[in-house]
Amino acid sequence: MDLSSPALLTASLSIGYVPLTDAAVLVVAEDLGFFARHGLRVALSPAASWAGLRDRVAYGALDAAHMLYPMPIAAALGLVGPAMPLTVAAGLGRNGNTIVLSTALAQEMGDAPMPLAALRFAEVARGRNLRLAVVHPVSSHNYLLRHWLESGVLDPDRDVTMSVLPPPAMPAALASGAIDGFCVGEPWGSAAVLAGAGRAVVASGDIWPDHPEKVFVFRASAAAAEPQAAIAATAAIIAAARWLDEPANHPQAAAILARHAFPSLDLAAITPGLGGWVPEPDGGTRRLSHPLSFREALPPHMAHAAFWLSCMRRGGHLPAQIDQAQALAPWNNDLFLRAASALGEPLHAPTPLPTESAA
Amino acid sequence: MLLVDGDPDRAAAVREGLEASGCEVVGLLADLFDLVARVRACGADVLVCALDDPSRDAIEAMALLNRNEPRPVVLFAQSGGEAQIEAALEAGVAAYVIEGLAPARVRPVMEVAIRRFRAHEALKRELSETRATLAERKIIERAKGHLMRGRRLTEAEAHATLRRMAMDRGQRLVEAARGLLPNDAPTQREI
Repeated sequence: MDLSSPALLTASLSIGYVPLTDAAVLVVAEDLGFFARHGLRVALSPAASWAGLRDRVAYGALDAAHMLYPMPIAAALGLVGPAMPLTVAAGLGRNGNTIVLSTALAQEMGDAPMPLAALRFAEVARGRNLRLAVVHPVSSHNYLLRHWLESGVLDPDRDVTMSVLPPPAMPAALASGAIDGFCVGEPWGSAAVLAGAGRAVVASGDIWPDHPEKVFVFRASAAAAEPQAAIAATAAIIAAARWLDEPANHPQAAAILARHAFPSLDLAAITPGLGGWVPEPDGGTRRLSHPLSFREALPPHMAHAAFWLSCMRRGGHLPAQIDQAQALAPWNNDLFLRAASALGEPLHAPTPLPTESAA
Repeated sequence: MLLVDGDPDRAAAVREGLEASGCEVVGLLADLFDLVARVRACGADVLVCALDDPSRDAIEAMALLNRNEPRPVVLFAQSGGEAQIEAALEAGVAAYVIEGLAPARVRPVMEVAIRRFRAHEALKRELSETRATLAERKIIERAKGHLMRGRRLTEAEAHATLRRMAMDRGQRLVEAARGLLPNDAPTQREI
């Protein structure tokens, strides 16, 4: 199809997202007119929970959404929520989450430079049943935090109490002492540090370098009914990811995100995550070795999905028997390949899977 | 039954409706932090939750990790037909049941909750429309005052001028009025 003639297409799509920095591709595509340039009218709306977002996709109130990488697997299998086929159109980001500990706990750890060694954390944490929060059970946050704890020889099911809180609630929960630490996507980690609630000790990219994090998904029936619109939306996503790939565009991107996604936050909380930095309690910043990035994350890879599936099994989230082909069916990459070839976007190689110890 | 809703007015309305229909509401929860402990402690059979409530992911985590804890029912579709699911979605209500409870027993609860959610939303919409109309009228009055002072017009002349401007530009009266007012004039906020 000829994507250079958007006038040939006029379609409307409803797209949802959870307010996080890695929704930037969607928010920027809408604000800067990338969707419009590809012939699409898009209604983009934020959601307060992943469950609410998923249900709106399932029952047709949304056509497409920002999702945690393992969520389409859970949806394909009907693990929680309605069983529904989804189609993964593109990756929306890699890296981008941080583990933040309360100020007092970080001090007990000796305020060591990032990344804090899991064994050091375990020395202080053992026997104390610390309370750690993640954003969703079926999430990279949960699986990577569990892996990190295990690498310190802690049992995530016995040695700590894990809970689920929505991302925007994390800074206040840490400040009030309701939890001792959390793993969350930006900008909420930076917001907690800037609010004086805690200190970032590990980035998710320290645990699995350049791990795939979020995907852009369609309800399979919506993509099948309007394939041209789905491809055009995917092309707009690619265009937005290219734009975000330019560091010179980050100040504008931060302002766009602030306006649409984070009306309650200061720009100072949004900027570091986009640039691959994390604020320090003393007012400085620290560069992350594996920063949030968008463009390399674009191609969906079934091998990545298979890895998250193996994490789900280890985490006890899967029934004994599952149909693996059904679980990974959302990663039929037709939409992405057609949009990428129309735009001449190279297929970035998949991030290598973590070593044996992480799997 | 436990009700989870960050909107206290709506929660109160839903609670009243559920109690009138013979359900026992053992708790009402707006606080995110002790959700899991409260769900375990309250002995509820059913959780009724606002669809967009931020607590939903925490409730699902309980459901995924421990089969004896709340399981979503309405939006998880083993009970209720498509029509009921859509009604629930549209009204903004999700429900979770403790495993073992017959879905048929949840249905009447859901029906009451859906009706109450809807009635509450309609009330809110009406209120915000009334407020908007009032605010628009104030803007128009202020713009007329502006014209009367600036161009020494009578009120009728000012009104006619404003109408003509709106018609010429294909705008609503309030949009034309807003265009006339200086940017720093208080407009929408002051109600």
